Amino acid sequence: MTFAAFAWKNLTRRPVRTLLTAGGVALAVAVAVSLGGFNLGYKRAIAGSIEQLGFQVMVMAKGCPYEAATMMLKGGTGLLYLPEDAHAKIKSDPDIEAITPIFIGIAEKQGSSIGDAPSASSFTILSGVDEASFREMKPWLAFKKGPGYDGGRWFAPGSTNEVVMGFEAAEYEQRKVGDTFYASVTPNGKTEPEMHAFQVTGVLERSGSQDDGTVFLPLKTAQKMFGRAGQLTIIGIKLRAFNGIRMREFEGRWMSIPEVQVVSLEQVKGALVSLVGTAQTMVAAVAVIAIIVAVIGVINAILMSVYERIGEIGIMKAVGATRVQIFRLIWTETLLICLAGAVSGSLLAVVTAGATDAALRHLLNIGVTQGLVRITPGLLGSAVVGSVVLGLLAGIWPARRAAGLLPVEAIRANE
Amino acid sequence: MNGNVIISGRGLCRHYQRGSETVRALDGVDIDIHAGESVCILGPSGSGKTTLINLLSALDAPTAGTLTIDGRRVDGLPEHELVNIRRGTVGYVFQKFHLIPTLTVAENMALPLLFLGKKPDAEGLDRVLGAVGLADRAGHLPKELSGGQMQRVAIGRALITRPRVLIADEPTGNLDRQTGETIFDLFVKAVREEGVALVLTTHNLALAGRCDRTVTLEDGKTKR
Repeated sequence: MTFAAFAWKNLTRRPVRTLLTAGGVALAVAVAVSLGGFNLGYKRAIAGSIEQLGFQVMVMAKGCPYEAATMMLKGGTGLLYLPEDAHAKIKSDPDIEAITPIFIGIAEKQGSSIGDAPSASSFTILSGVDEASFREMKPWLAFKKGPGYDGGRWFAPGSTNEVVMGFEAAEYEQRKVGDTFYASVTPNGKTEPEMHAFQVTGVLERSGSQDDGTVFLPLKTAQKMFGRAGQLTIIGIKLRAFNGIRMREFEGRWMSIPEVQVVSLEQVKGALVSLVGTAQTMVAAVAVIAIIVAVIGVINAILMSVYERIGEIGIMKAVGATRVQIFRLIWTETLLICLAGAVSGSLLAVVTAGATDAALRHLLNIGVTQGLVRITPGLLGSAVVGSVVLGLLAGIWPARRAAGLLPVEAIRANE
Repeated sequence: MNGNVIISGRGLCRHYQRGSETVRALDGVDIDIHAGESVCILGPSGSGKTTLINLLSALDAPTAGTLTIDGRRVDGLPEHELVNIRRGTVGYVFQKFHLIPTLTVAENMALPLLFLGKKPDAEGLDRVLGAVGLADRAGHLPKELSGGQMQRVAIGRALITRPRVLIADEPTGNLDRQTGETIFDLFVKAVREEGVALVLTTHNLALAGRCDRTVTLEDGKTKR
């Protein structure tokens, strides 16, 4: 028999108490791991989604740049527009490596749903793009292959009835190459929606970005159907040798255009991360409280166990146990409870990561497509090591109490 | 009298403070215990029997007097040093058995070895299990045993480290007469076969008569 085996047998004496105590630790660890996973996943998801935009700088109408950036990431309403001639002015800037004008509009979903199929979403994002410059900005976009998808191509620049559908948009609408896509749009200045029919010329491969849920059409066609000829939503820009100094210089040159602002996506990323920081802090506070409660629970359970076994501890000392050995025994019991809780909590966090992701996505309404909860081996390792350290700290007091008992008094107390 | 002196006490005192009153549980007792002898300590309740054997087993230290166990001075030592005196030298058997309920018979017997940092060898464990007549009960838990069997486990636990002295505080006090005699036979066997010294307390004069000698206490002093 080893000390660990002896300690384990002692814990099985009161299985319900041991399970409840370890369960408390497990819950605290699960919350902490999920929070840590959210921290890692959210930053990566924001960075990934912004990377997928293909550009580092946006020129847009004055307003809240972060709202506009979020709209770019997830779609939305209440768009502001800037004059198209801003694109003509800016594109001559020598620092620009690539530039693309984009017009974003929202089509009402009810008008475009198929037959009696219920609609799960209320809108479809329509993105009017300049095909050549847009492809240059996002060279990774490729057409889906296979039956019904072969022969995919971008729409002709001047076409008025052709669209390219993102992977998820096509899947949701159940459209393939050659099918007709319907969009119901209320043009600017009108109150009644107008129905438009388009032929699908291609369906894009999944990119893991907001492009998957977007329907692309020629820029001029989009502007016309929304009644906003000569207007853009954003101008996406990729700068040569992008850095903070270049960005400030570029910003200085073009801030003079009325009603236009220049926004770095790095700034947007920082703002989006800090926006969720408050929520993360609150959840962290809950996790810390859960951990404190769990540690108090462990101390209480082990202390009760020590008081119940005062006589036994006296006997152990009488048959040769030293103070250090008694301390070690009680400490091992604490450690085992915390270790069991840490492993169970880590598993719980892994198993529920999908549900946590969905809940966070629902609660925080975050416009990113990648996973929000990223639980890494390093994170799990930290949780287990942290729990062990907390367990060792929690075990000090009960273990000292047990180790300091005098055998004669302890045995007498039990009789 | 045969063999060397294992325990020697001179003027042993154990006084307690209870409020403003000083309780003289033991007051100037002289005693020698020799290897291979059995000594029975007699006396009425409250005479100091348990206090004396707690001192002789290094579970407690005297408040005055000198006490030597296996050649080492015990008086004045704190608990963390007393444990080094008793481990491996003294085997203790309690009236109420005091087994660990979650450990099997074999594990209870091997417990002192765990604290000594020794792995119980199967042969040694079998020897003790056989000596106390529990070879077929090694895997049983204490709750599955009778009172006599539990006391056998306690004796096995005391003998497992091959101590020089076996100390028992009313070991038959919780047993019926017949079982008590059987248990006492085990002690006698241990003295004869293992060569240990035996110090025990009992109210049973018949059992006391089977010991090599008796020491009678009254009011914390040796009655002459």
